[in-house]
Amino acid sequence: MDQLIQQFLTGLSIGSILLLVAMGLSIIYGAMGIINLAHGEFVMLGAYAAWFLQVQFGMGLLISLVPIFLLVAAFGWLIERFVLSFLNNRPLDTILATWGVGIMLQQAVRLTAGGELRYVKMPEALSNSTAILGVQISLYRVFLLVASLVLFAATWLLMNRTTVGMKLRAIIQDRPVAASFGVNARRIYGLTFAYGAGLAGLAGALVSPLKSVSPEMGTGYVIDAFMVVVLGGVQSLIGTVASAFILGELSGVIAFLQNDTVAKAIVLLAIVVLIRFRPQGMFATRVRA
Amino acid sequence: MNPYLRLSNVTVSFNGFLALNELNLDVGKGELRCLIGPNGAGKTTALDLICGKVKQSAGSIAFDGTILDGLEEYQIARAGIGRKFQVPSVFRDLTVSDNLRVACAHHPGVLHNLRPGHRQADDDAVERLAELVGLTDQLRKPAAFLSHGQTQWLEIGMLVAQNAALILMDEPTAGMTAQETRKTADLFLRLKGRHTLIVVEHDMGFVKAIGDVISVMHLGRLLAEGPASEIESNPAVREAYLGHGGITNA
Amino acid sequence: MQSKSADLTFLRRTNAELIAILAVCAIFFVVPVLLNNDYLLNKVARYLVLGILAMSLSLSWGYAGILNLGQAMSFGLGSYAMAMTLKLKTVPVHTGPQGLPDFMVWNNVTQLPWFWWPFESQAFAILAGIAIPAAVAAALGWFMFRGRVTGVYVAIITLAAMVVLNLVIIDQQQYTGGFNGITDLAQLELFGIAFDAYGRSTYYLVTICMTVALLVAYAFTRTKAGLIIQAIRDHESRVRYFGYDVGAYQIAAFALSAAIAGLAGMIYTIVMEFASPTFLGVQLSLSVVVWCAVGGRQSLLGALLGAILVAGVQGALSESATFLETWTLVMGGLFVLIVLFLPKGLAGLVASLWALIRQRPLRSVRGVHRIEQTETGA
Repeated sequence: MDQLIQQFLTGLSIGSILLLVAMGLSIIYGAMGIINLAHGEFVMLGAYAAWFLQVQFGMGLLISLVPIFLLVAAFGWLIERFVLSFLNNRPLDTILATWGVGIMLQQAVRLTAGGELRYVKMPEALSNSTAILGVQISLYRVFLLVASLVLFAATWLLMNRTTVGMKLRAIIQDRPVAASFGVNARRIYGLTFAYGAGLAGLAGALVSPLKSVSPEMGTGYVIDAFMVVVLGGVQSLIGTVASAFILGELSGVIAFLQNDTVAKAIVLLAIVVLIRFRPQGMFATRVRA
Repeated sequence: MNPYLRLSNVTVSFNGFLALNELNLDVGKGELRCLIGPNGAGKTTALDLICGKVKQSAGSIAFDGTILDGLEEYQIARAGIGRKFQVPSVFRDLTVSDNLRVACAHHPGVLHNLRPGHRQADDDAVERLAELVGLTDQLRKPAAFLSHGQTQWLEIGMLVAQNAALILMDEPTAGMTAQETRKTADLFLRLKGRHTLIVVEHDMGFVKAIGDVISVMHLGRLLAEGPASEIESNPAVREAYLGHGGITNA
Repeated sequence: MQSKSADLTFLRRTNAELIAILAVCAIFFVVPVLLNNDYLLNKVARYLVLGILAMSLSLSWGYAGILNLGQAMSFGLGSYAMAMTLKLKTVPVHTGPQGLPDFMVWNNVTQLPWFWWPFESQAFAILAGIAIPAAVAAALGWFMFRGRVTGVYVAIITLAAMVVLNLVIIDQQQYTGGFNGITDLAQLELFGIAFDAYGRSTYYLVTICMTVALLVAYAFTRTKAGLIIQAIRDHESRVRYFGYDVGAYQIAAFALSAAIAGLAGMIYTIVMEFASPTFLGVQLSLSVVVWCAVGGRQSLLGALLGAILVAGVQGALSESATFLETWTLVMGGLFVLIVLFLPKGLAGLVASLWALIRQRPLRSVRGVHRIEQTETGA
C-alpha cells in the first residue's frame, strides 16, 4: 500500500512539473498556433535568472519569482516582435525559426554564464520533508504541486475572465472580425507570447533547486512539454492539466517497472500513434491568420 | 438507359447543416450541363461530392456504371472525372509547361513515372495545350506570375490535358474579360460530345450560350431542370434566384 | 517554332545543373593531389559525407516538402550496419572466446543476438545499410502518408521516431554498445582494397559515393515522378484530383532520401572508425536541417555545399572553445534569418543574382516585345 501511495505521489510530482513547463507552451500553441521550440530555453533562462539573482543579489528563490517572470516575458515579447511576426501562416518555418532562436539563447548563455553546472538553493522553509498519507515527501515538491495548480488557476482566470483573455479568444475565433471591432491582434499576440514565455521562466526558476542548471537543460523539457500539449489537446487548459498528470503518473509507473529511458520511449511512441489517429483535438491546424 | 452520371438522394451534412438535401441529378454522356442557383444552393458542394473532396452522409453516386461511394479522390480521378476549382488551383512554383506536364496523367503510377527522361509525347501535348489556351509565350514562367485570367486558362488547359471523360468546372469564367469568356464558351462547345461537362456558373450570358440543359439548385436540392427558355419562365426559379427580370437581367 | 528553341534553352538549363554537379565532384576528386595531409584528408572526407546527408534531406524537404527532423535516423541505421559487420570481423582478435564483440562480453552476454548474425556477411551489411533505412522509412512513411499526416505533424513524428530508436539503442547497451557505440572496428575490405580511414582509398570511396548519390538524386528529380513530387510539395491535395496516389509518391521520395542517408551513414562509419548513438541524435538531425536550409533546400548541390561549408567552418573552429560557441551563436542567427527571409537558402540567392545579371542586357528588347503584345490585345 505504501508503495502505491509513494508511486502515486511521485507521479503527482512529475505531473506538476510537467504542468508548470507545459502551460506556457500550451497557451502559445493553443492560442496562437505557434510551435515554440525555444520553449525549453525560456525555462532555462528562468533557471539561470534564479541562479543569477541568488548569486549576485542574494535574493531568495521565492522573492525572485516576480522579476524572473517579467524578465523572461520581456524576452518572449521581443522574440515575438522581431522573429515570429514575420511568420504568419508558416507553421513549418515557425518550428525552425524558434528552434534557431533556442540555439542562440543556449549559446548566449554558454558564452556569458559558462557551461558548467550551476546550483540554486532551495528556500529554507521548504527544504524539509513531510508525511502525506504515511509516506514521506519533500515539502518543496508539495509546494511545486500547489504552485502549478495556482498558476493554472491564474491562467484560466486570465483567459476566461479578463478583457485581454476575451480579446485573445476573439482573435483565435476570427481575426479579421475581431480586428474590425478594434482589437489589436499584434499587441495581443505579443502579450500572449510574453505571458507564455514568462510562465516558462517561472517553471524554470521553480524546478531549478531540484536539479542542476545548465545551458542544455531546456531540450529535455521542451520534448516533455510537447508530449503534454499533444496529448491534452489544443485550446484546452483543462486538457493540459489532465494530460500533465496522466503523463506524470504514466512515466512514473513505467520508469518504476522498467527504467527512465524505456518510459520515455514508450510515451513518445504513444504520442506518435496519437498524432496519427487523433490529430483533431490535438494539433488541429490552428495556424495564426 | 442509365444516365452517365447519377446522384441518387444524396445528402451532405456539415455538423447538422444540410449543404445537399436528398439531391437527385442525372447527366447524360456528352452533355454540357450548366448548374446554376443562388449562393448557398450547394452547387460547389455537389461538385466537391462528385470529385471526392467531400463525402456524402447518405445517398449514392454512380458514374459510367461504377459506384463512386467511398473511393478516394485519386481513384475517382482515375475513373475519369476531372475538376476545375472555383479558386484557380495550379502549381504556383512550377512553370506553366510543368503544370501541364503534371496534368498529363494517363499513367499515374509511381513506377511508371520513375523512368528517366522526358517522353516526347508529353512534350508535344504540352505545346498543343499551350497553344489552345494561349500560353505559348509563358511556358517557362512560374505559374505564380500569371494574371488571374491566365491562371484560369492554365487550369482549364490542365483539365483538357487530363482528358477526363467527365469534367467539372466551377465558375470557369470568374474574373475573365468578355473576349476571354467567349473564347471559353467556344472551347467548351468543342469539348462537349467527346467529354461530358458540368459547369457551375453565375454568368447567365455564358450559360445561355453553351448550355443545352440547365439544372437549377436551391437549398441543396434540384429546383428545376430544362432548356434556358423553360428555366427563365419558371416562377419558382424566378422567385428563388432570378428576381422578376428573367435570366438576362440576372 | 519558338517553342522548339524554348525547349532547347530548357534542356541547356537542365544540363547546367548536371554540369555543375559533375564539376563539383571532379574538384573534390582532385583534392588529395593538392592536400598531402592524411589527417586533413580524413576531415574533408567527413565533411563530404555530411554533405551527402544534407543532400538526402534536400530531396525529402526541398523537393517533396517533407521535413524530416529525424533524417539522422536513416544515417545512423546505415552507420550501425557497417559498424556491426566490421566489428564482427575483429572476432576473435578483440573479443571473447564465444566469438562475441568485446562490449557484449563485458556485459555478460553469452550468445550473439539473432539480429547480429547476418552481419557476418559484409555483402549483406552493405546491402542492409541502404535497404534497412529505406524499409524503415517506407514503413514510417506508409504510417504517416496513408493517414494523410502532413507538414508539421510529419516533422514531429519523424523526430519522435528517431528519438525512440536512439533511446532503445542506448538502453540495450549489451546488444548495441549503448552510449559508447561500437568501437574498435576492423577495416572494410572491398575488391582487395583495405579502407584505412586516413588513407586516400577511403577518401576516394567517399567521393565516388558522393558522385553516385548526387547523380541518382538528380536523375530522380528529372523524372516525371520527380516533377509530381514537387507538385505535391506545392499543392498536395490538388495533385490527387489528377489521379495520382499522393501517398505512394511521398513514400517513394521519403524512402529514396533515407536510402541515400543510409549510404552516407555507412561510409561515415568507415571515415570515423566507430558508430555511436549520436549519429541518430537530435543534435545531428537538427544540424542537417540547418545545413540544408543555409545551402538551399531546393538545390541538391546547394545542400551538399552548404553542409560542407558550415561543418567545415565548425571543424576549423573546434580548436578554440570560445570560437566554436560564438560560431554556433552566429550560425543560429544566420539560420533564423534564412528561415525568415531566404527560404531558398544561399543557392536561391545565387540563382536570383544570376537571373538578375542575365536579365539586364535583354531588358530593352523585352520591353519592345511587351508593348507589341499588349497592342494586339493578347
